[in-house]
Amino acid sequence: MTTPGMIHRSESAVSVELQTPDMTINIGPQHPSTHGVLRLVANIDGERVIDVDPVIGYMHRGYEKISEVRTYAQITALVNRIDWVSGFANEIPFIVGVEKLMGVEVPERAQYIRMILTELARISSHLVFMSSYPLELGATTPLMHALREREYILELIEEMTGGRFHPNFNRVGGVKPAYGGGSTTKKQAMDIPSGYFQRTLEAMDRMDQICKDIDTLVTGNELIKMRTVNVGVIPADKALEYGLTGPNLRASGVAYDLRKIENYLPYDEVDFEVAVREGGDCFDRYVVRLDEIRESVKIVRQAVDQIPKGPLQAKVPRILKAPKGQVYSRAENPKGEFGFYIVSEGGKMPYRLKIRSSSFSNLSILPWILKGQLVPDLVAIMGSLDFVLGDVDR
Amino acid sequence: MSDSPDTTETEADVAVIDPLEGYAEALVEKVGAIGFTLEFDTVRIHVEPSRWVDTIVTANEDLELFSWLSAIDWSKDVEVGDPVDDVDALEERFEVLCRLSSVQNGDGAIFVATLSKDNPSIASLMHEIPGAEWHEREAHEMFGIDFEGNTHLIPLYLPDDFVGNPLLKSYPLLSREVKPNPGDVDVEPMPAVEAEAETPAEVTSEEAAGDA
Repeated sequence: MTTPGMIHRSESAVSVELQTPDMTINIGPQHPSTHGVLRLVANIDGERVIDVDPVIGYMHRGYEKISEVRTYAQITALVNRIDWVSGFANEIPFIVGVEKLMGVEVPERAQYIRMILTELARISSHLVFMSSYPLELGATTPLMHALREREYILELIEEMTGGRFHPNFNRVGGVKPAYGGGSTTKKQAMDIPSGYFQRTLEAMDRMDQICKDIDTLVTGNELIKMRTVNVGVIPADKALEYGLTGPNLRASGVAYDLRKIENYLPYDEVDFEVAVREGGDCFDRYVVRLDEIRESVKIVRQAVDQIPKGPLQAKVPRILKAPKGQVYSRAENPKGEFGFYIVSEGGKMPYRLKIRSSSFSNLSILPWILKGQLVPDLVAIMGSLDFVLGDVDR
Repeated sequence: MSDSPDTTETEADVAVIDPLEGYAEALVEKVGAIGFTLEFDTVRIHVEPSRWVDTIVTANEDLELFSWLSAIDWSKDVEVGDPVDDVDALEERFEVLCRLSSVQNGDGAIFVATLSKDNPSIASLMHEIPGAEWHEREAHEMFGIDFEGNTHLIPLYLPDDFVGNPLLKSYPLLSREVKPNPGDVDVEPMPAVEAEAETPAEVTSEEAAGDA
């Protein structure tokens, strides 16, 4: 199966051992399955990957540097754009951190609205995964179903905040008086748009249905299972060493969910389960995300039911200055632990802002996990990690 | 234990945050660190740079999740943003930070080592915690900190031929060098500020006219 020229004539008499030369192939930065601009330099031996060197930074926008010349209120607009698939959820750890620094108590109604919108962002982010992952494995139909349903969620987010992807809806001390709600002259009258909760509950019924549809289209699909079961297994100890969080870690059997641990939103007042699987393969990572959509639907339903009346915004000074200090604030985002380390020197702008983004750590396991895998599995494994390059590069 | 009423009040305050303080004290003892700072529910453990790897590996037994690693540039020479609160008292230095978290509960701490500006160098965690490699590469290119033992310290985000360490406080924001902040033209000064700004401006223009 090899060309005669591959073995030197002098060797042919004494040895018939065949050699396949290693080959370096370049994948990306523009590639249909990379969720953005990611380049992989892969050394392959036939169908096996020897090693992979991911090249990132094509979307590095220097948010940590820009944040040093932006006020706290301006930075919320920036953090929206880190992981654009779940813009609203990104705002939460930052704004909670600033509130912690300033000692601001957020009204309960605003906290509930934050919780509802965070869960909507989670459903929307996971629906993007539900559409893109089967597509990467060759199944095109789920894309149509999942993206259609995601539009209902984006409409809800837009109706409340005015933005489909980048809501920029949080203010220190609460949330912005809603875009579609009440009078613009009397601050007290501004609230969420009328009939909003009814439409939210209707959308949640649709989400129940789409989970069932995806179950029949994807979960039980033999071809999908052949591509994903026992492929790209990440053991729990490796996942922890590389700082994997979110569904990727929970698929490896570690029930680490900041919604249960950190007290950043009233998650203790709603009843939900942490989705965990033991296997750590691509299929488990997919199932964990599907289960999380169901759990998020449960949270939204309860939150809509329990939301208290009251103001949307606490009283805060007109010019926001954080006292001197350092705080690490983190939250469970759709893709994992998202954190901000804020170093304040008492001014209007942070002295230093470290962004701990989930996709960066989730992607850093790529060289380890792809070693020794088959080339066709490369895309299946990469897709199952569900990263967004904006979140990797910041 | 003092009898004055002031200290009683502070003791009451301490009692409220006792669980975290007790946790931080126990952690300092366990890993053999210098001390700790506790503010805003964030525990910082100060570590001797020479014992950086040992300390973090010991702490990693309980705090299983490697969360992130980064640095802070404490500098008097500030090109970007506001300087520190008290510039004269500032001791110029780098701080390398590493966050470890527990996956069982909310425990976690940020380990801090202080490096001098002259030769910022610290041992690499890459061989004990492989996930640290990318974080160290980022800190290396952004701050110029050397991680001894990291065999792959090539640029992560920046182009190969990039000159400088962008997250240093002395490094200017390049987009502002090229053109002024586009937001500046839209800013209308507050009435009071405007009145203040106008008075000296008029004087100077008159002076200029007189000179001419």
